[in-house]
Parts: sequence; C-alpha cells; structure tokens
Amino acid sequence: MSRVLGAGPIARLRHVIVAWPSILRVAFAGMVAYRAEMIIWVLSATLPLVMLSLWNAAAGGGAIDGWDQTAFTRYFAVNLVVRQLTGSWVVWELNWSIRKGDLSPKLLRPMNPLVFNLAETFAALPFRVVVLLPLVGVLAMWRPEALFLPSPAAAAGFVASSLFAFCLAWLVQALFGMIAFWTEQSMGFWSAWFAVWALFAGYFVPLALFPPSLVALAQVLPFYSTLGAPVDVLLGHAPVASTLAIQAGWLAALGLLTALVWRSGIRRYGAVGA
Amino acid sequence: MIRDTTGPEARLIRVTGLSKTYRVPVTKPGLRGSIASFFAREVREVHAVRDLSFRIEPGERVGFLGPNGAGKTTTLKMLSGLLYPSGGEVRVGGFVPQERDPAFLQLVTLVMGQKQQLLWDLPARETFELNRAMYGVDRKEFTETLDELIALLRAEPLLEKPVRNLSLGERMKCELIAALVHRPMILFLDEPTIGLDVEMQVQVRQFIAEHNRRTGATVLLTSHYMQDIAALTPRLLIIDEGQLRYDGALDELTRTVAPERRIVVHQVLPELAALGFAVTEGRMVATVPASEVNALLQRVFAVAPLVELGVEVPPLDEVIGRVFRGASPTETP
Repeated sequence: MSRVLGAGPIARLRHVIVAWPSILRVAFAGMVAYRAEMIIWVLSATLPLVMLSLWNAAAGGGAIDGWDQTAFTRYFAVNLVVRQLTGSWVVWELNWSIRKGDLSPKLLRPMNPLVFNLAETFAALPFRVVVLLPLVGVLAMWRPEALFLPSPAAAAGFVASSLFAFCLAWLVQALFGMIAFWTEQSMGFWSAWFAVWALFAGYFVPLALFPPSLVALAQVLPFYSTLGAPVDVLLGHAPVASTLAIQAGWLAALGLLTALVWRSGIRRYGAVGA
Repeated sequence: MIRDTTGPEARLIRVTGLSKTYRVPVTKPGLRGSIASFFAREVREVHAVRDLSFRIEPGERVGFLGPNGAGKTTTLKMLSGLLYPSGGEVRVGGFVPQERDPAFLQLVTLVMGQKQQLLWDLPARETFELNRAMYGVDRKEFTETLDELIALLRAEPLLEKPVRNLSLGERMKCELIAALVHRPMILFLDEPTIGLDVEMQVQVRQFIAEHNRRTGATVLLTSHYMQDIAALTPRLLIIDEGQLRYDGALDELTRTVAPERRIVVHQVLPELAALGFAVTEGRMVATVPASEVNALLQRVFAVAPLVELGVEVPPLDEVIGRVFRGASPTETP
C-alpha cells in the first residue's frame, strides 16, 4: 500500500481532504448516470412553488399581516433556492444500505461511508442549479417587482447561513437514516419529522406570520435553522448575527450527536449481524 | 503505536475462544402472533459461533468449510471487523478487527460472493478509482496493480461497461479487482465462485492461487465447491453448528475420515465375487481399508491377470459430508 493511514481524527480528516477530489468525481459520475431520475427527484422538492400559489391567492385581496403578493413571491422564491441547495437523499441511502446489508462492503474501506454520501450530496448541486435557474427565471418574469438587491451584509449573512443550513439539513437526514441501525426502518420517523419540520422551518408559512410568542420559540428550534433562517436573513426578516449563532450552536450539537450515534450504530450493526 | 504492516505478523491470524451469539426476534405466525409480538417481543438466542480457536500462518491458504448456517460467514465477518464477537479474542495482522483501525482495513479484504461493493450504474473502473482514493493508494502503484490484476483475470473488456450490464462471472472478476487494488495481505473470500460457470470458476481459482504465490498473502476461503478446496487450500478448517470439527491437512482428513478405497474392475467377472466384489452398473466394486489394497490387488491379478481396474479415493464432498454427519476426524492442534 502507498501509505499507512492513521487512526486519529486529524489523520482521518487529512485522508478525507486528500481523497476528496477523486471521491467527488466518482460521485458526480454516479449522478450523471442517474440524471433523468435525479431531475425528477429535484423537481419533486418544488413545494415552495405550490405554497407560493396558495399564499399569492390568499394575498390577492390585500396584504396579510403586512405581507403582500410581492413579499410572498420573494419569500418562496428564496425558500425554493435554499430548499434545493440544502437538499440531499442521505436518509434514504442510509436507511436502504443498513436494512439491506449493503453497508457492510462500504465499512470495509478505511474511510467513513458517510463521506461518500456527502460527496453525492455535493455532486447533485449542479443538477439542482440546472433545475432552479429556469424556475427562478419564470418567477422573475411573472413578478418582476419581486426582484431585489440585498445589502452586502444580508448577502454575506445569507451565504453563511445557507452553508450552516446545508450542513444541518444533511446531519439531520443522516441521523434519521441511522435510526435504521436500531429499528431496521427509519422512514416512518423521517416522515413524522418532516411534518413538524415543514411547519416550523418556514416551508409552508413564513415564521413571521406565526403568533409572536411562537416565533421566538420556532427560531431557536432546529427546524428553522435548516431552511427558514437563511431565507429570513436574506430578506431582512431575521437578525444576521443571532441567527448565525443559533445555527452554529445546532451545528456543533448535531455534529457531535451524529458522531456519537454513528459510533453506537456501527457497534449495534456489528452486534446484530452486519 | 507503530505497527509493522509488511512483515509476517501482518499476515498472521490468531483466533482464541471466539464466539458470537445473536438475539433473534421470534414472531409466531398469524395475526395473533403479530399482535402478541408487538406487545411482548420474544427473543431467541442463536449461538452462531462457539469457542472457536485456530491460527493461520503468513501466506497460508486455508479452506473454511461447513454446512449452511455453520457460522463460516459470521466468522469471516468477525475476522474482517464487521461483526463484534460476543466472546474470545481475535488478532488479524496484529490488530483487533472490531476496532476498525484504518491501517487494519488497509491490510485485509473480504470478498462476499453474495454482496457487492461495485457501484451498480457505473463502469467498474469508477469503483476501482473510489477505492484507490479511500485506501490512500498512490496513482503509480494503483496503475501497476490494476494492470497486473486486469491481465491475470483477463478483465480488460469489462472495465468500461456499467456494472449492471456485466454477467455474474464478469462482476465477480471486477469484485476481485476492487477488493485487491490496495494490495491487502490477508484475503477473506466468502464463496467467491458461487453461481459461476465451470470455466469462470477455473479462472477465479487460478487467479487466487497465482495471487497468493506472487504476493504471499494469507487466504481464508469458504466455498461450497469442493473443486475450489481441492485446488486451492492444502489446509482445512471445518465447522459445524459454530464449533470447530477439524483443523488439519486435506490429505490427512481423507486418510482419517475415509480410510477405505474402492477397487473398481471395469468388467463383470463372477470369480471375483469370492474376493468380496459386488456387481454395480456393469462393473465390479470392492471397498477395503487402504492398508489392504495391495493384498487384494495381488489376489485379483492371481485370478484375472489381464483385468483392467482402478483404485478410487472417496470424492472430497463425500468425505466432508461424513464429517458433517458426525464422523470423527483426527483433530490437529
């Protein structure tokens, strides 16, 4: 072998960084092979457009709590972009490979199999952009008055917040996928999470339309950090610094939890029959 | 701690008192059974492996045999770090497998005939490249190893086709390449020829033997095809119901479990009946202990000097079958 790999966290991280370009290239080749299916999957996550049409109709008779049709268009257009750029399929992938035992050959490699899942998530991004561009273009033509130029601070905050949202959304999916280590079926849990998430993440309704006491609570729950936070940061509905701080806190907590659950899950997988 | 990952220790396998017990949920049939198990899940303990001990020296090729459910795959999975043992101690290449040290995973490989690591919709080359990156193999060494493996397995035409379009045998060739691009020193092969046609079985067998000769890698192989065992593994481990039944040379097993020989005369000579021969399918057959073969042959030639005959050893699968059915082989340490 070329070099003996170390077992410490730094050595493992260094190994991932060195190997990352090759892993990403193979993951991208996989996405190209699945391109038709991929595009359909990406299109299936365009619920914000459905919500936009509903809220657009509702606001036709006048603004709702100060939100007119233009505000809703902005909100759900940005919502669509964030939702697409933070999407992944890791919960399905993990659930499947744990249940079917396909995880076993992956565990024989000296690198955490989740690294490849992460690479697949990145590799899907160009496809997501390809789907997004015409959708956003159509929205812009439909309601040109919704086009806006964010302040540099809001734009920078949006980029940082979206990155946090990407990591958080991925970690949450990975965590739910790992439930299959114990239950052999995690999709039921994921569906339950999705229902609560869709409400509190701002997927169906902007958080600003919630009763004020509920807004304060929803902003500190993890759901909002994975979607609504970057949308509201860009549109100026949420303070940049405190929103990023909450996201960073959740990232640290979920990152740690994911590492612990993975370690425990692998032990469980090895105990019950890999 | 710095370990030697190239010396003999890196190819050594030591197993002491290894055991694995699964807790398997039991559901009684029918609606009532389903409802009952929903409220109170009944669990049964299955002892897949019990108190298994053996040692495999660097570069050895060892056959691991047993009937279905004997614990072979469970043992291989414990040796490769996929399963946690319930008891006992294992050292593979100086490592404790279940700790899954990256240096350990670089040292071993497990080929599962019924599970695949190849990326299904991509050409096999992509999986080789993925493994190169994940195992940290440098590009030059990877190219050399790959060229060598491709030549040995005559796999060149297979590499650009999506894996889903390959036949079972072609996929196994690519699985073997994927499993070996990092040059492991210990190979666990679980039914590597399962489902392959005879020609492909021969190719895989030749490849494994040649790979072992070239690299000195240790090989532990399970197979239901006795030709694999006869051709590849001078030493056998036989387990049944999770326990070691035999550990020793293949020749020795035949000597102790099936010490008799069949003398087959290729024509019917009634005068041989007096020497203990019986007519079977137009031939005359006598079964005697190996030590009495010469004496009987002399008596046959005295009665029929020009007779055409042969001396047969019981087929290997029959010998193994006898061990499974409870015959007592002589165990070696």
